[in-house]
Amino acid sequence: MPPPNTPVDGTTTPQSTQPSQPAQSSQSSQSVSRPTSSIIMDASQVKTALVKMDYQAIDYVNPVDETLICPICRTAFHSPITTPCGHTFCAKCINRALERQRVCPIDRQPIDKTRDYRPIPLIIKEQLDRLEARCPNQGCDYVCARENLEAHYERHCEFTLVHCSKPSCDKLVARHLCSIEGQCMHEMTNCDFCLKPVAFVDLDAHWEQECEAAFATCPDCDASVSVVNNSMLKHIQQECPEAMAKCKWDGAGCRVTDKRRIVREHERNGCMYETVGRLLEQQAEDRRIIQDLTRRLASLEAVRDTRRRERRRDSAATINDRTATATAAGGSLTNPTTSTSTPADSTTWESPHNYMLAQFERLESHMEELREMVCEMDMRQSASFLHHSKQVADRFLELGDKVGVLSMHTKWLLNMQYMQRNAQLRAANAASLAAAAAGAGGAGLSGGSDGLNHGGESSSGAGSSSDSGLRYQGSRRGSEGRIENLTRL
Amino acid sequence: MSAPFAAKRLGKELQKISNSLPPGIELVSADNFEEWLLDIRVLDDNPLYRNEIYRLRFRFSSTYPIEPPEVVFVKLPDRPIPIHPHIYSNGIICLDLLGHQGWSPVQNVESVCMSLQSMLTGNSKNERPPGDEEFVRGNRLRPRDIEFYYHDNDV
Repeated sequence: MPPPNTPVDGTTTPQSTQPSQPAQSSQSSQSVSRPTSSIIMDASQVKTALVKMDYQAIDYVNPVDETLICPICRTAFHSPITTPCGHTFCAKCINRALERQRVCPIDRQPIDKTRDYRPIPLIIKEQLDRLEARCPNQGCDYVCARENLEAHYERHCEFTLVHCSKPSCDKLVARHLCSIEGQCMHEMTNCDFCLKPVAFVDLDAHWEQECEAAFATCPDCDASVSVVNNSMLKHIQQECPEAMAKCKWDGAGCRVTDKRRIVREHERNGCMYETVGRLLEQQAEDRRIIQDLTRRLASLEAVRDTRRRERRRDSAATINDRTATATAAGGSLTNPTTSTSTPADSTTWESPHNYMLAQFERLESHMEELREMVCEMDMRQSASFLHHSKQVADRFLELGDKVGVLSMHTKWLLNMQYMQRNAQLRAANAASLAAAAAGAGGAGLSGGSDGLNHGGESSSGAGSSSDSGLRYQGSRRGSEGRIENLTRL
Repeated sequence: MSAPFAAKRLGKELQKISNSLPPGIELVSADNFEEWLLDIRVLDDNPLYRNEIYRLRFRFSSTYPIEPPEVVFVKLPDRPIPIHPHIYSNGIICLDLLGHQGWSPVQNVESVCMSLQSMLTGNSKNERPPGDEEFVRGNRLRPRDIEFYYHDNDV
């Protein structure tokens, strides 16, 4: 089983005439740079960061998606580029890797870095910019979108290293420590307590960790307490078990005053003023709530009054406004914000409540208009429906008529066929009777011609009735006449 | 400049490794960013490596991950050197992945361990590399300076 990432056959090292040190990496590897003069001349005199923000040291609030992580440094991409084979790396990382081997670290396709890089899609850049990032400085917990973090780091962060205030000193110091102009924080001073020489910058650390003289023994409890920044006073006033203290229920009338640990004991065992004390606390709480409610009530009343005044003043204007919106019904209804914002702009609102109330009223009037429109549309709809259905009913009646006529015609035709057959039979009988009874005669000839005439007449009648349809009244009369004729025959 | 780069990358890896590792791989110690110890074992029932656990030592240079780490098996009373035609009896591993040509900066400790696991799993030859005894006796070079000739593409 071959291990992963065995070199692909046929890959060759690319020939490049370019110098091996790329411009990009030389720029980024220059980690310490003097601030440019333009920034120093800035009116605000903000000291800029001297060490570029290290993107790899950034901590992200949420876990970063695996697809946004550079496979070389394993942190979210910083100014990424894409290789011709489609793989993305931080520019710095891929440049370092290519210095050693001119192939893509993932699939070992040859890369000519001076020519082959492609920019990444903007959508990736945006995703990276929006990552919520924490300031990489120790002690700073500022969080913002990553694109803004560099500005924070360089201009604002109190923990960024900047040049020492004293021009002759070339050391760096956290920004919040160089507030005094011309004061070098690296100058040695003597510790106030142990008198050892300590740099100003290190004074806090010295007091906290090294200086033994900065700790004194509490006169009451023998504990070793730091004397810096009034911590001894705090200790005596709040913590020291041997210092004198008053009972917690002092305000309720308890007069116990003793060493703190005895007072604590007394409190634990149940001070007799405790009930009173709690009652007083409760009362104070109630009073506070009442005051709060009174204040709110007053403000609400004020709002109500102004609202009332305003409504009276604006009533005429509102009516005008309403009619205007009603005439421009379609437009204002599809886009109510435009119609409501215009009056809001022209009037100055005394408070957000008033504004909201006015907006609410407008919306209500719009609702009313909409309701009316819907009613009207409903009516129109039902009217047109009635109209259409009437037409359809008429057509049905007409069709029924026609069907009746057609059935009549069929009946007539069948009838006529029946008659014809009867007549032919009768004629044939008469002819045979005549032939049998007597020899040739005038009477026999005239009877034959009579029969032929009848045949001609009936065929023309059938033709005229078949194409009738529209002229059915006339043809009906004709056909009726013809039926009479036939029955007479 | 490069030392923090390696440290940061290893910090990230350590963070990930201490959360989860693939089966058969265990972190023994990672007290600094120079030397880590890991235990690996073969997951399938290969009779050559059954019921054995092997100790790996990673040594990282300041140029990691651009340069490969030095990875060797370490012999301890309960941690033998696995028998394999590409592993010398002093623990030195002949694997192109760990050489300068085969290494890629996208590799990491976890992927190296997995590659070694699969290298052992796929082996069925109960033998050491040719010339093992002489090499072990004579070699004074560090593993990274040895020029291996990767001739065998089957394992």
